[in-house]
Amino acid sequence: MNLLIIAQMAVSGAMMGLVYALIAYGFQLTFSTSKSINFGQGELVMVSAFFSLTLLNWGVPYWLMVPGGLLFGVVLGLAVERAGVRLALEQKSEGWILLTIIIGLLFFSAAENIWGRDDRPFPTPISSDAMRFLGVSITPLEISVAIGVFTVMGAIELFKRKTLLGKAFEAVSADRDAAELMGISATRTVMLSYGLSGMVAAMAGILVSPITTVGPTMASALILKAFSVAVVAGLDSGFGVVVVGIFLGALESLTSFYLGSGWREAPGLILLILALAVRPNGVFGKASIRKV
Amino acid sequence: MLKRLLFVQGTEIIALLLLAAIPLTVSNSYVLGLLTLLAIYGILLIGLDVTVGYLGQVNLAHAAFLGLGAYAAGLSVSLLGFGMLSALAFSMLVGMTLGGLLAFPALRLEGPQFALATLSFSALSVTILNEWETLTGGAQGLHVSRPIFFGHTVNAQGFYWLCLILLALVWMAMRNLLSSQWGRAFEALRDSPIATDAMGVGTYRHKVAGFALGSALGSLAGGLYAFNFQYLQPQGFTYELMVILLLGVVLGGRKSLWGAFFGASLIALLPNLLSNRFLFLVISAVGLLAALGAGIRGLMKKTTRPFQALAPIVAMCLLVVGGLFVKNTEDWRKAIFALMLFSVVVGLPEGLMGFASRFLTQLFHIDPPALPPASALDKVLPAKTVDGGPLLKLQGLKRYFGGVKAVDGISIMVQSGQIHGLIGPNGSGKSTAVNVISGLYSPTAGTMLLHDRPLPGGMFKVALTGISRTFQNLQLFSELSALDNVMVAMKGVYRSPLPLVLMGLAKGEEKRAQADSLALLELVNLKDDARISAKDLPYGDQRFLEIARALARKPELLILDEPAAGLALPDVIKLVDIIRSIHERGITIILIEHHMDVVSELCDVVTVLDGGRVIAEGSAAEVKRDPKVIEAYLGTENVAVTADVV
Repeated sequence: MNLLIIAQMAVSGAMMGLVYALIAYGFQLTFSTSKSINFGQGELVMVSAFFSLTLLNWGVPYWLMVPGGLLFGVVLGLAVERAGVRLALEQKSEGWILLTIIIGLLFFSAAENIWGRDDRPFPTPISSDAMRFLGVSITPLEISVAIGVFTVMGAIELFKRKTLLGKAFEAVSADRDAAELMGISATRTVMLSYGLSGMVAAMAGILVSPITTVGPTMASALILKAFSVAVVAGLDSGFGVVVVGIFLGALESLTSFYLGSGWREAPGLILLILALAVRPNGVFGKASIRKV
Repeated sequence: MLKRLLFVQGTEIIALLLLAAIPLTVSNSYVLGLLTLLAIYGILLIGLDVTVGYLGQVNLAHAAFLGLGAYAAGLSVSLLGFGMLSALAFSMLVGMTLGGLLAFPALRLEGPQFALATLSFSALSVTILNEWETLTGGAQGLHVSRPIFFGHTVNAQGFYWLCLILLALVWMAMRNLLSSQWGRAFEALRDSPIATDAMGVGTYRHKVAGFALGSALGSLAGGLYAFNFQYLQPQGFTYELMVILLLGVVLGGRKSLWGAFFGASLIALLPNLLSNRFLFLVISAVGLLAALGAGIRGLMKKTTRPFQALAPIVAMCLLVVGGLFVKNTEDWRKAIFALMLFSVVVGLPEGLMGFASRFLTQLFHIDPPALPPASALDKVLPAKTVDGGPLLKLQGLKRYFGGVKAVDGISIMVQSGQIHGLIGPNGSGKSTAVNVISGLYSPTAGTMLLHDRPLPGGMFKVALTGISRTFQNLQLFSELSALDNVMVAMKGVYRSPLPLVLMGLAKGEEKRAQADSLALLELVNLKDDARISAKDLPYGDQRFLEIARALARKPELLILDEPAAGLALPDVIKLVDIIRSIHERGITIILIEHHMDVVSELCDVVTVLDGGRVIAEGSAAEVKRDPKVIEAYLGTENVAVTADVV
């Protein structure tokens, strides 16, 4: 019986882990083009979720709300790039770390005041009645999270491989200077990556909201775990984030079961520090060579 | 000189006396509380400035160290019965230990990863403080009683004076430390970790030491915080506080004690500032005017990019408009921090105090402290007699990058006292070979012997054996002055132990380092530019400065990696003279160069590399005639054509 509980915990945890993986994937998108990530990505998840909720409250049907929410995420991502990242990249400084933290704080404060500090339910047409497989119960809602995560990641990977714009994206990731010499605008590619990253954040918000409810602090725990997943997997491995995301989700679900829910953040944080100490490039990442 | 003493030290003493005297004239407990908080935040921000300003890392763990120090002090009183001073010392020790531990893994990390490591650490700390309920009382909070101080109970006024005295002590100690070799080393590793190791300064120890020190100060402030409020909750030390602390340091001005103090007064007063709407409007209007003034001036002079000028103006406009229309400014607290911080980071990266000190220095014509006369060059670099024996032996040295055989089994013997040229077409493996010798890359195979002893691994250890180098792509400590660039690398001068440095009793060796460094700057004709920061020097002078810096290591073997690259002809002539005079002092030189005239003029022996292998060796004239060398540089002539010509 105990084994069944463990299996149950692991499966539900893994579903949440996929959401961490999706947000971590958003970090990878911007890191590959610009070696920068948005430290306020959690606020993007949260604000997009609130916006999508507002669309629903205005009577927009669920399936129309999704593209609307994603578009909003793109706009937010572009705003972050323009206000917080571009100048620092031009100056080759690490000022973007502080600036993206600051912009995240601004979004947080705005959300607190516009939508209030309380958590709100997020309606969804997808059922949350449990189904049983081999004694483990799983809801269609959880399955929809998995489908959503893989759809978005798959679509972006396909875009990167099959379209000209996507190839430009890969070129800038591989070698920014060489790509510029070939007539690809690195600035615009970085913009594109931030736009996509914002869209990914919005998707994560829409997927996770029915499970966690929507509130200003909904993403603060989420984002720490997405950081862990991104760092443990390595900031350049799309396959890695999925594996690590599922692993971490299951691990923290078990931790909170055995040690109490207050400790559920701990494994991710410890893993992150350990990974940075032992393998700064991540388990699935490639080591880079220092050049002088 | 006297003017400087009067202004700089005088202002500090007057400020201290004023702060100490306020409670004697104003007996308002609210004001006293604010002043106490100001002193505590002052210590806290001076600590944060070590990592954010001097080490140049975004440190998100400082609020956690405040909390850990506070709990350590509180618990040491209630559980161990510590007195005031021992409890504060204990909290410092906790901060230093945990800070050092965190810095060890963080040591290999750069910007974003470092920020993430500290972010995780602080979230983990709050989790532990929350969940370890038997010890910390968890979310219920912890009541702390103010312990006795040498047998006396301490009232609010006495406690304030204690905080103020500690602030003054920290202030003095940090000023001494940061103006010593330690402070220079911190800044050096911020600007170029690679060169910090290559100059034998040690990135590793200074990063750990700097972080441990900053964290210790944060925890000391935490101890005072605990005894001031006498009630602690884990929620008090979270992310929001961290952002406020960063606001204080950045707005006040990095790398400045006054900046930290100013930032501390700002964050101590922040709650009042936000609750009083009129005051808030006045301040945001002043901010808008400042942004407008600075922005327009910057745009007219074309010193700033349009974004740098416009973004703060837009942010400040938002602040003013928001201040007029928002119902309750308290609710928008975070947005207000964000807008203020954004404007400062973008528009005034040096902070208010950085700006003010520049302005005041110009206004009162305060000269920097006078420099001592330069030492005699013979004292700094005594001429060595050369025995001519083998110095460096490379045997079958290989370095592969994946499938790329950058260096593929080279054997070279460098005789002491010679200038040994290393030439070859681009991609022939010269720079890789040098990077392997100097310890940046570990060899894939082969041995390297210096005086028949194997070279250690790692740049820092190699630097200690007496090998010094310059870099093909300049690795100067760009924000340090030319003089400081040389001083930071100076070998054999800094001997005082840390306590003496903290007490300001190491000024003698500082003077000597200055004098010796000036002699080296004189050698490369940069003596008159000693106070100019490296990044503002012309390109050619930057190359010469790297040579002077490498000489400060008093090397036995000096490796010059393409020193003439990009130099104009007059500078090339200067360079040849400089290299010659270095050689006359008995220093062995490995010279990597593309300018064949420089090589022929200077080198005793030339080794030619191609495709990671040695293809020729001999005097410059010999290798120039070598058909294999000609082939490597110019390619083979078409066989048929050759036949025709013959």
